[in-house]
Amino acid sequence: MVDKNKCTGCHQCELWCGTEIASVSKELYQAIHETPQPVPRVFVEGKNFALQCRHCEEAPCLEACPNGTMRRDPETGLVYVYEPTCIACWMCVMACPFGIITPSSTLKVAIKCDRCRNMGYPICAEVCPTQAIRLEERKDYRTKAF
Amino acid sequence: MEFIQKKTMDRAVEYFLPKASEMEISLTWDRFEGQLPECGFCETGLSCRDCLQGPCISHPFRDSNKAGICGKERETLATQSLLRLVLKGTMVYLDRLSEFAKEMESRQWRPKNKPRTDQMLKTIQSFFYDGGMVKKELPKNWIRPWEEAKIFPEGMVRDLFRASQKLEGGFAENEETLLWIFKSSLLALISERLYGELKRSAMGITTPTWIEVNLGVLDTQKPNLLLYGYLSPLLKQKVAQEAQKESIQVLCVGTYPLIPSFSFPTVTNYGSQEIPLMTGAVDLIVASDQGVNPSIMEIAKAYEVPIFSVDDLKRSKDLGHLAKEIIGEVKKSHEFRKRFPRDIPPIKESAVIGFSKDKILWKKILKALDQGQIRGVAFLFGSGNVKFSQDHEITTFAKEFLRNDILCLSKGESSIALAKYGFLNPKSREEFCGKGVLEFLKGVGEEVPSVIDVDEVEFIDFILEKPKEEKKAFPMVACFPEANRSSEVVEAIAMVALGINTYFWPALPITGSQKAMEALTTFCQKKLGSSFYIPMEKKMEARSKATMVLKALTGQEGYGISGKPWR
Repeated sequence: MVDKNKCTGCHQCELWCGTEIASVSKELYQAIHETPQPVPRVFVEGKNFALQCRHCEEAPCLEACPNGTMRRDPETGLVYVYEPTCIACWMCVMACPFGIITPSSTLKVAIKCDRCRNMGYPICAEVCPTQAIRLEERKDYRTKAF
Repeated sequence: MEFIQKKTMDRAVEYFLPKASEMEISLTWDRFEGQLPECGFCETGLSCRDCLQGPCISHPFRDSNKAGICGKERETLATQSLLRLVLKGTMVYLDRLSEFAKEMESRQWRPKNKPRTDQMLKTIQSFFYDGGMVKKELPKNWIRPWEEAKIFPEGMVRDLFRASQKLEGGFAENEETLLWIFKSSLLALISERLYGELKRSAMGITTPTWIEVNLGVLDTQKPNLLLYGYLSPLLKQKVAQEAQKESIQVLCVGTYPLIPSFSFPTVTNYGSQEIPLMTGAVDLIVASDQGVNPSIMEIAKAYEVPIFSVDDLKRSKDLGHLAKEIIGEVKKSHEFRKRFPRDIPPIKESAVIGFSKDKILWKKILKALDQGQIRGVAFLFGSGNVKFSQDHEITTFAKEFLRNDILCLSKGESSIALAKYGFLNPKSREEFCGKGVLEFLKGVGEEVPSVIDVDEVEFIDFILEKPKEEKKAFPMVACFPEANRSSEVVEAIAMVALGINTYFWPALPITGSQKAMEALTTFCQKKLGSSFYIPMEKKMEARSKATMVLKALTGQEGYGISGKPWR
C-alpha cells in the first residue's frame, strides 16, 4: 500500500532499494560509486507517490514476455524476472501499464520490483520514514474498490 | 542501516539500561534506533538546504535529479557538506577563546603572569581581525608550508566570513572549497593554541594528577554537583573554591577535570551523559551549550534534578556571584532531594591525567623509536558515537596498539573513555603494554599510565614541537575510532594539516562524491604530505580497523599511509 498523503517524496525508498537490492556491495558508501549505476526498483513519481510493481493478477508483462522470463511465484503470487533467460526485447516494458519496468541497456535485462521476495519484507516499506509504504493484507480491496 | 546489539562496554552504564527500559526512559540508544534508517543523502553529503527553494538532493541511482535547483553538482554538494561541518566545528573553538578572553579582560581574575596575559590578549584581538600578531606565536617551520598551500589564516573575521560565503553560491572549484576547509580548521587549531597559552599565563600549569572515573565516584551522602559540557576554567575554579567551603562534591561530565589546584572526579563520558541522573545521587547540574544533550532535561525532570544553564543570557556575568548562586542552588536541591534513594553502582577506576609537553619530551620518543623500543606513536581522539558500542572501538584500538609497542596518547573525552577501563591507571600498565612500550613508560616515570593523557592546553604545543624534518619517516598516526561532533572533524583536519596521517570513523559527509574524495586525498598528499583516510566499510570490525592502521603505521602493508588510494 502506498499512502500518497503520507509520502513526502524523500526518495529514501529509491536510495535503499538501490543499495540493498540493486547494488553489488550492499553498502551505501560503496553502492554510490558502483559502475554500472545500480537501478532502484521503486520510483518516486511526481512530488509524492512511490511507485513499485503492483504484481497484477492479470499481469500484461507476463502475457507479453515471449520466452517465459517473466514469471509468477506460485507460492506468493509475486511477479519476477528470471534474468538468465531475458533477451532484452523490452516487450514487458511496453506492456506494463504503470511503467515500472526499467530496460537496463548495460545489463541487457528488464529490471523490476519483486517485492524483495527473498528478503521476507520489502526494503522500501522498512525504510519509509513516514510509513507511506506499508505491506499489509487487504482482503477487502476488491469490494471497496468496486 | 545499523542496529547496535551491544550498547556499551561500560558495566556501570549497562546496569542502568534494563532500569531505563522498565521506567520507559528513552536513552540515546533508543532514540538512535528510532532514527534508523538515517537519511542516506545527508549521510553521504548529497543533500543541501542552504536556501528555501530546497531541500535538494543529488540522486546517486537516477539519471535525473543529479543537481540541486541552483545547479550544485554532486561534487559541490559533498565538499560543501564538509565545509558546513567544519565551519560549525571551528566556531566551537573560537567561541571558547573569545569567551575566555572576554572574562580575562573583565579583570575578574588576577593573572599569574600579568605581562604575558596582557600580551596574549593583544594577540587574540589581532587574531580576531587581521591575524598579524599570531605568526609570532607559532613556530616558523609550520607557517611556511601552510602559507605555500594557501591555507594560513588571515584573521578570524575575514576568513570565516569568506568561507561561509562559499555556501552561498559561485563557481568555486572543489580545490578552492577544500582550501577554505583547511583554512577554517587551522583557525580552530590556532585558537586552541592561543586559548592554551592564555590559560597557562593566567592560571598556571597543571601537573599529572590522580582522579577517579565512572559512576562509583558519586557520593552516597554529600551533595553532588555535576558540571556538564565545556565550561570556562575561571568559572570552574570559582565553583570549586565555593564548593570546598561547603563540603560539596564537584564532579564533571564532558568537561576537562583539571584546573590548577583542583581536580574533579569524572562521572562518565559523552555517550552515557544521561545515566548519572538515574543514580538519584545528582543534586544539581551546571550545564553549558557545548557537548550537552538536550535529552538530559527530560530525565532530570523525572528525577527532579534542577539544571542551571550558565549560557543563559539573563545570568549574571560576575563569575564569583554566579558560583555563589550555584552553590546556593545545590544546597537547596540537596535538602529537597534527601528523600530520593541513591543507587550508585560501586564501579570506579583510578587514572593519572594531565601530562604536559615537558614531561613527554619528543627527544625521548625519537630515541625510543631509533632504538626500536617503540614502533610508532598513535593519538587517540573522539568523544564516542552511538553508531558503535560505547567505548568498544577506542579500547580495542588502544589494546591492539599497546600490545604491538605503539605509544598511545590521548586527550579530553577519549582519555575519559579509556580511563574507565584502566588504560590511564599506571598500576595496570603491565596488563596492556608490550615489552617495548612498558620499558619506555618506566623510563619516563613511575606514575605514567599505558595511555598518556596530554593536558588539553598542552596538546597543540606538544604537536607543534614535533621535529618537522622527521615528518616523513616518523611513524605517527591520529585515529578517531568513534568520532561524533563537528569539533572533532575540525580536529582531524587540523591533524592532517600538521602532517599526521589521520583515520576517521564514521564516514564524513563527503563520501557521496568520488571526485570530491579524490580531490581531498590529492590535496592532503601533495600540499601537506599526509593522508586523510575516511573508511567507507560500515561493517568493519574494530579489531580489523586497528590491525589495518597498525599495518600502515609499522609500514608492513595497508593503505592510506602507503599512498594507495582509498578504494
